[in-house]
This record gives sequence, C-alpha cells and structure tokens, in this order.
Amino acid sequence: MMNFVWLLAVEAAETVEEGGGLFDLDATLPLMAVQFVLLAVALNVLFYKPLGKVLDERDGYISSNQVDAAERLAKAEQIAKQYQQELAETRRQAQTVIAGAQEEAQKIASQTVAAAQQEAQAQREQVQRELDEQKSQAMATLEQQVDGLSQQILDKLLGSLAA
Amino acid sequence: MALNMLMIHPLVLAKLEVGEHLYWQIGGLKLHGQVFLTSWFVIGALLLVSFLATRNIQRIPSGLQNFMEYALEFIRDLAKNQIGEKEYRPWVPFVGTLFLFIFVSNWSGALIPWKLIHLPSGELAAPTNDINTTVALALLTSLAYFYAGFSKRGLGYFAKYIEPTPILLPINILEDFTKPLSLSFRLFGNILADELVVAVLVLLVPLFVPLPVMVLGLFTSAIQALIFATLAAAYIGEAIEGHGGEEHG
Repeated sequence: MMNFVWLLAVEAAETVEEGGGLFDLDATLPLMAVQFVLLAVALNVLFYKPLGKVLDERDGYISSNQVDAAERLAKAEQIAKQYQQELAETRRQAQTVIAGAQEEAQKIASQTVAAAQQEAQAQREQVQRELDEQKSQAMATLEQQVDGLSQQILDKLLGSLAA
Repeated sequence: MALNMLMIHPLVLAKLEVGEHLYWQIGGLKLHGQVFLTSWFVIGALLLVSFLATRNIQRIPSGLQNFMEYALEFIRDLAKNQIGEKEYRPWVPFVGTLFLFIFVSNWSGALIPWKLIHLPSGELAAPTNDINTTVALALLTSLAYFYAGFSKRGLGYFAKYIEPTPILLPINILEDFTKPLSLSFRLFGNILADELVVAVLVLLVPLFVPLPVMVLGLFTSAIQALIFATLAAAYIGEAIEGHGGEEHG
C-alpha cells in the first residue's frame, strides 16, 4: 500500500522533471523582476505621487485651517473678554453717575428746604415786628387816652373841689 | 482498492496542477506564459484603477479616489512603521507596489475563475503561484535593502555584519541568504498550497464544502501580501538604521 503511494509520488516527480516542474526557475524570473520594477515606476507616476501630493496638501490645508481657526478663536475670546471688561467699566461709571446725581439732588433739595425755611423765618420775624409795632402804637394810643381820661378825671375832681 | 482510487485522484490532480507550464520561447529563453498572462492582467488592473482614481483629483475625495487614498495611507503607515518617519518616503513606491501586486495577484487567483480559460498546457493561476515570481520579488527586496544600506551608510554598512560581536559574522552573512529564501518560499508555498487545497476539495466535493477553505484562502492571501510588504519594509528599515538599533535610543 505504502509502496504504491510512493511509486505514484515518484512517477509524478518524474513526469514533472520532464515538463519543467514546481521549482522551474528560468527567464521568467528576471523578466518578472523587470516587469515589477516597471510597474513600480508606473505606479509611482500614476498613483503614489499624485495621491501623495493630494494627501500632503490636504494635511497642510487642514493644519493651516486649524491654526487659523485657533487664532480666530483666541481673538474671539479676547474680544469677548474685552467686552466684558468694558461692560463692567460702563456699569461702574453708570453707578458713579447715578450716585453723583443722587447726591446733587439731595444737596439741591436740602438747599431749597433751607432757603424756604429761612424765608419763612424772615417772614415770621417781619410779621412779629409789625405786630410788635402795632402793639406799641396801640399801647401809645391807649396811654394817650389814659392820660386824657385821667386829666379829665382830674379836672372834674379838681373842678368839683374848686366849686 | 477503493482507498487506492481515493489516493490516486489527489495525486493525479496535483501532478496536473503543479508541474506544467505554458512555455514561450523567446530567443533561447524559456518563459512561463501563464504567469505573464495573469501578471499582465494584474498590472493592467492596477494601472487602470490608479489612472481612474487620479484622473480627476479633488480636495474632498469620493469614490475611487477615496478608496485609493485609503490604500495609499495604509501603505504609508506600513512603510512608516517599519522604516521610520524620516526615511520612509522614498520607499513607499517599492513597498506599496510589493503589497498591491502581491495582494491583487493573490486575490485574482482566489476570486477569478481562471481555470475556465483553457490553455494548451498548464493553467492560469495567481502569478504568485509560480516560484519565479516570488523569487524575483524576494531578490528585488534584497537588492532594495542593500541599496538602502549602502546609500545611507556607505561602506559603513558592512559594519553591521560584525555589529553585536564579530562572532556572529557567519550568521549575519547567512541572514542575507535566508531572507530572500524565506520571503519567496513563504509566499509561494502559501499561495500554491491554498490553490491546491481548494482544487482538491473542489474535485472531491464540488459543492459548498470548499467554501470555508476558499474564504480562508482569501484571508491567507491578504495576510501573505501584508507579511511580504511588511518584512521587505522591515529589512529596508533595518539596513538604514543599523543592526544594533542603538540609534533608536
């Protein structure tokens, strides 16, 4: 059995010897090598170079865009920050303006009140003075009348005495 | 006797499959015609796809351009990983063509029913099915890494033969022979064995049973292409940066 298989194998090997066989190295080898080198050159021109260039250019494009975008982002953030600062500054200014206005209004109000009080005081004093004057006039008139009456009384008394 | 019949079939098939070539005579030179026919098909397919992919290049890729860019990035990554960031660019065409040629050859052998086309002698199969092709590719790889070593380091390239210690000189010299040998026989053996297994199974059970083996064959074919290209790139990288790898830091 084993012999038979062995024989077959030998037979196969022998026929192979005639026809060239499995390990038949011949001019196919160098021609295939040349062919392969030509293929590499052709693919280099047709495939690797143009597509490689595209890949590199795209990489450059993307990275430059990215840098650009990062710059713009930084700028935008800076502007936003500046805006915040200005906003805060403006708020502070508004606050001071309001405070100043309030203070001024307070001052004006108190001044007005004081002036009004002064005026009222002056008027009251004047009225008082007029009153006093009229009172003293009235007293003087009364005194005169008192004098006259007392004279008359005196005259009457004296007259009756004399009589 | 029944067993004998069973044994005969694969052997006869193997004999028919393997030994014969379609010989072309050019001058005094003998060529394996069937290898060239399929290799021309593979080369034509590669050139055609490359041409179509780069015919109208857009910044935003689509369709075939996108696919080929993916392939190119894959090849570039492969070369970059093995050769290094600084030196890999000039070697992309060589490593990439190795990968593409072997990959398309293997898959054409596995996917295209070449055997329907009858030749006067021999039969069409993947070009990598023939020892001449794989030896040619392996010898080109050897030339490539010698060229890489000499162009980068001049005669200092010979220093790598005695690099860890001069005792290893014979082994280092032997390595230059084993590298192409293992490269070529690995590829040749895998592809031939795969095609034989599929052919034998198809002969024994023509329906469904060979399918898993065929799928496995597709996988092996792709892996073999990747291994060949990766090893070629690794040899080139090794030749460029020195044996000990001290420059790695």
